[in-house]
Amino acid sequence: MSRPIVEARGLVKFFPMRAGPVTALNDVSLRVEAGDYVAIAGPSGCGKSTLLHLLGCVETPTAGSLYFDGRDVAALPDSERSRLRLLGIGFVFQRFFLLPMLTAWENVELPQAEAGVAARPRRRRTAELLDYVGLSARAQHRPAQLSGGEMQRVAIARALANRPRLLLADEPTGELDAATGEQIADLLDRVNADGNSLVVVTHNAGLAARATRRITMRDGRLAEAATGVIR
Amino acid sequence: MRAFAFAWRSLARQPARTVLALLGIAAVGALLFDMLLLSRGLVVSFSELLEETGFDVRVTATDSMPVTGPMILDAAAAARALEGLPEVEQASPLRVARAEARVEGGEPIELTLMGLGSNSRDLWTVVAGAPLPSETGWVVINDRLARELAVAPGDTLSLWDAGAPGSVATPAIDLRVAGIAEFAFDTRLERTAAVRLSDLSAVCALERAVAADVLLVASAAGSGPEQTVEAIRRLRPDLHAFSNVQLVNRFRAHDFSYFRQISVVLTTVTLSFAFLLITSLLTVSVNQRFAEVAALRAIGFSRARVVADLFCQSVLLVGGGGLVAIPLGAALAVWLDGILKSMAHIPVNLHFFVFQPRALVLHVALLGLVGMLAALYPIYLAARLPIAATLRNEVVS
Repeated sequence: MSRPIVEARGLVKFFPMRAGPVTALNDVSLRVEAGDYVAIAGPSGCGKSTLLHLLGCVETPTAGSLYFDGRDVAALPDSERSRLRLLGIGFVFQRFFLLPMLTAWENVELPQAEAGVAARPRRRRTAELLDYVGLSARAQHRPAQLSGGEMQRVAIARALANRPRLLLADEPTGELDAATGEQIADLLDRVNADGNSLVVVTHNAGLAARATRRITMRDGRLAEAATGVIR
Repeated sequence: MRAFAFAWRSLARQPARTVLALLGIAAVGALLFDMLLLSRGLVVSFSELLEETGFDVRVTATDSMPVTGPMILDAAAAARALEGLPEVEQASPLRVARAEARVEGGEPIELTLMGLGSNSRDLWTVVAGAPLPSETGWVVINDRLARELAVAPGDTLSLWDAGAPGSVATPAIDLRVAGIAEFAFDTRLERTAAVRLSDLSAVCALERAVAADVLLVASAAGSGPEQTVEAIRRLRPDLHAFSNVQLVNRFRAHDFSYFRQISVVLTTVTLSFAFLLITSLLTVSVNQRFAEVAALRAIGFSRARVVADLFCQSVLLVGGGGLVAIPLGAALAVWLDGILKSMAHIPVNLHFFVFQPRALVLHVALLGLVGMLAALYPIYLAARLPIAATLRNEVVS
């Protein structure tokens, strides 16, 4: 059995509130293998995004452990976790979070530049990714000059820039109309088909249905696995 | 993209706000620059005026400031004795008195009359006519007096002792105008004339023709003013010798200390304004960009990189504003200097705002320090930003 890209064991997450701590995740265990396409669904407030944030190493669990490529994330200093996110994880956000002062090209170049990729391979990779998401012609446009679907395509290209081991998408179609959402879902299918591992948090049943593994969450727990076991 | 380029793009994203910020920092920076020029301006200017005379040591009868205390009664003999010192190139007695002058058929005009030893170098710059000859019977006057008396080089004027009210009038003596000159310490309203000491004694009918207010001493080549002062003190312990630097320091400690204190207070206030302005600007910028900063951190930007971005923004704002502040401050200094110098009793050649490289270095250092300190709080906010909570809040909002 190959080593999972990410493995969560008994993850617990409390958020301290004035009225007492709120349990966002309760004893969640999950493995994501290379090539997986995992969709996490569930009602609002069930802990989907919290789980995604923990898998993406932007949040630390109250209890439990998380391993990324076999490394205990909790043992990593902040700078190492940043490096892990930069090189190992690609993030796609509901609200895109492209940098408004940069062009589509520059937004895709940004994580590569941060990772120290030399100019020539960086340009080649950026051109390749913008072509991949069908936005070569819009490379010099700023986010404000792009539609929502185009911005999300740029965000996906940015997430893939450093060839991450895992792509995490938080409601990637949440801000888009149905038709545009379908296009993004198609693109994510292609990303997975090209060998990338994906974890998608979504309310969109159509998007969730495209995943090879569908997980439903309820009250901070994994409720069921629609396809196969919860690995 | 390097931190500076990234910071530049962040600032260029909101050009109006950035321009306003730069102007704000430039205005505060200009005030800071002016306060730094003011803090030492008078001292430097006063020092330059003293140096301009060509004498680097002044000798008086007591430790009071020159021309304000008792006279040196044996000035001529003392000057000769000092000139015997190897450290001294020239020692010249100077006496200042009030006198009146008139041309034939004109009204008498009161003036300040300076009497200098016959071998003395000039204490003024001739702008028309000739220098004051070493023999008696000649006078050099300033432009204001020349205009009011309507005289030119070669004309004759009568001079007599202004005296105290009720004093016995002395006979006037006629002197020929050798030249029109600028006197270093003339005020805007000053009427000044200079003659040889023996002419001044004649004009004022002085009993003690040999007395002087001060002995002006020029150090010999290879001898510094401090050495000369020491040599004079050894030779004439009854007299008080000061180098120009020592004289300036005395002024700085007493007469000019007000300007320094005002400058320190205003500099502190200005720096506080700069600090608050930059902190506010960067904090507002960070607050508006919380989601963006969180997203950058999520995609792998390190805390150090986010800090570097904000630090570079601060450097660009302070650097840009600070650069604009220099010409702005210089123009403001010229304007303020003009206003202050229009006061009646301020020497025309004395400046309140004087440029010195030291002021520029301090300006850059202080603004840089303030920029760094001002960036600390917004940097703290950005560095401590909880990534997931910020992203969650952004989606919820």
